[in-house]
Amino acid sequence: MIALELIGVSKCYGSRDALRGVDLSLAAGSALGLLGPNGAGKTSALRILLGFTKASAGTVRLQGLSPRDPASRVGVAYLPERLQLPGRMTVLSFLKLHATLAGLNGSELERDVESVLEQAGLSARASERLGSLSKGLTQRVGFAQAFLARPKILIMDEPTSGLDPIGVRDARDWILAARRRGCSILVSSHLLSEVERTCDQVAIIDEGSLVANDALDELVEPGETLEDAFVRLVAK
Amino acid sequence: MRPAATTVFRALAVEAFRDAMRRRIVPVIAVFALLSLLAVDSCTSCAGSSQVVENGTRVSVDDISGWTGMLIFTVLSLWVMVLAGLLASDHLAETVLDGSAHLTLARPVRRSEFALARLAGSLGIAYTTGVVVLSVSAYLLHLRSGVPLGAAIWAGLACAAAAFVVAALAMALSLVLARIAAAMSVLFFVGAIALVNAFALFGVSLGRLGEVVQQFAPPLCTAVVVALEPWIAPVNPDVVPAIMVLKLALWMIASVLILLATFQKRELGS
Repeated sequence: MIALELIGVSKCYGSRDALRGVDLSLAAGSALGLLGPNGAGKTSALRILLGFTKASAGTVRLQGLSPRDPASRVGVAYLPERLQLPGRMTVLSFLKLHATLAGLNGSELERDVESVLEQAGLSARASERLGSLSKGLTQRVGFAQAFLARPKILIMDEPTSGLDPIGVRDARDWILAARRRGCSILVSSHLLSEVERTCDQVAIIDEGSLVANDALDELVEPGETLEDAFVRLVAK
Repeated sequence: MRPAATTVFRALAVEAFRDAMRRRIVPVIAVFALLSLLAVDSCTSCAGSSQVVENGTRVSVDDISGWTGMLIFTVLSLWVMVLAGLLASDHLAETVLDGSAHLTLARPVRRSEFALARLAGSLGIAYTTGVVVLSVSAYLLHLRSGVPLGAAIWAGLACAAAAFVVAALAMALSLVLARIAAAMSVLFFVGAIALVNAFALFGVSLGRLGEVVQQFAPPLCTAVVVALEPWIAPVNPDVVPAIMVLKLALWMIASVLILLATFQKRELGS
């Protein structure tokens, strides 16, 4: 079963092509690392998948539905690159709101919020305003909301940005735990070593075009690291 | 499964109201509301046996208190409409610009639910202020000048409907204009329409443009004044209350449709 797919998707911002006929799909339970240099079109692809912006051409499906249909986002969690949280809310009220929007209620909601707070190491910060948190803690709140209600699909854009080494390790563990649960993961990242550790598929976008899309072990040639393969493919 | 639309809307609207309450402008609004009430108290305190001289003739204050009351109530209603517009003019746009709307819209939430919840949240503050200011003013006017309270209820409802229209249009405008431009547009929009309405009510012609505004723009001032007719003699027999209600209802629907269409078209994060 396909969790999400882009078929021949193009996106133009004025005269600039952010994406050119990109074909991409993620099978349920797989983890796809989306790589590319800055400005390659990775974030545009994620925004199109979530219905934030419309593709100029092509077909987009999220759980078999148009991303504009809210039903397509049931069980989907998102962690954006530049995470902005409503600064006037507390950590607890923010997580409770997202748990409600994710379909939880009653004691199940309370349990899940408590569990992600603990998992993200935020229990002691629950009553603090989001605007008063450091960048690293804000990112942890982002992770906590993403893991609410055991999502079926996780879409993350530079998820470890702003995290310290322990935070990066924790984030990796959370992502791997989600994978073990059968969650489909699409992660856009510059940290190739993290992609290598968490994903089984890799797609590389350069200047809006897909230059590679394969299983990790197919893409990386013997004796190469993912970084070597990335440089080889992007420099072509 | 997607949570029920009512659950989603309630959760978002409650949060939007709390968010509006936490804004730094709220204490300023409270001070303005208090000052308005003190002004109303001061303006109505001479009712009773006091007399004024008009063109050499002694006139009881009670004879002109209906007009004074109408003026006070209309000005306060316009203040509530401006407040609704100003609060709405960044309550949605702020979340879109700073990106905090993205996480919510990545959930199974319709854009319409999010926009209407933000509108409800900002209107909550304007309505709370309106209810306090207008009801206390109406009570003082009733107590001191004997004007009937029923008219004030209808005028308050007209004010609520007009404030809804102003807020929805301001919110839509804020999605395409800079914050300051949207706020200035609210002041201009309410001021210009109120002026045209006031002139039209007293039969003063403002030319072709004025007629068009009077005919097609939301009757912000006219609706409140017409509701307060029991306090005064009919000002303009051409104004039919039923048409006024219909016009306001149509503008409420149109303003929401404009807001939703603008938000649907808006690309997030581009």
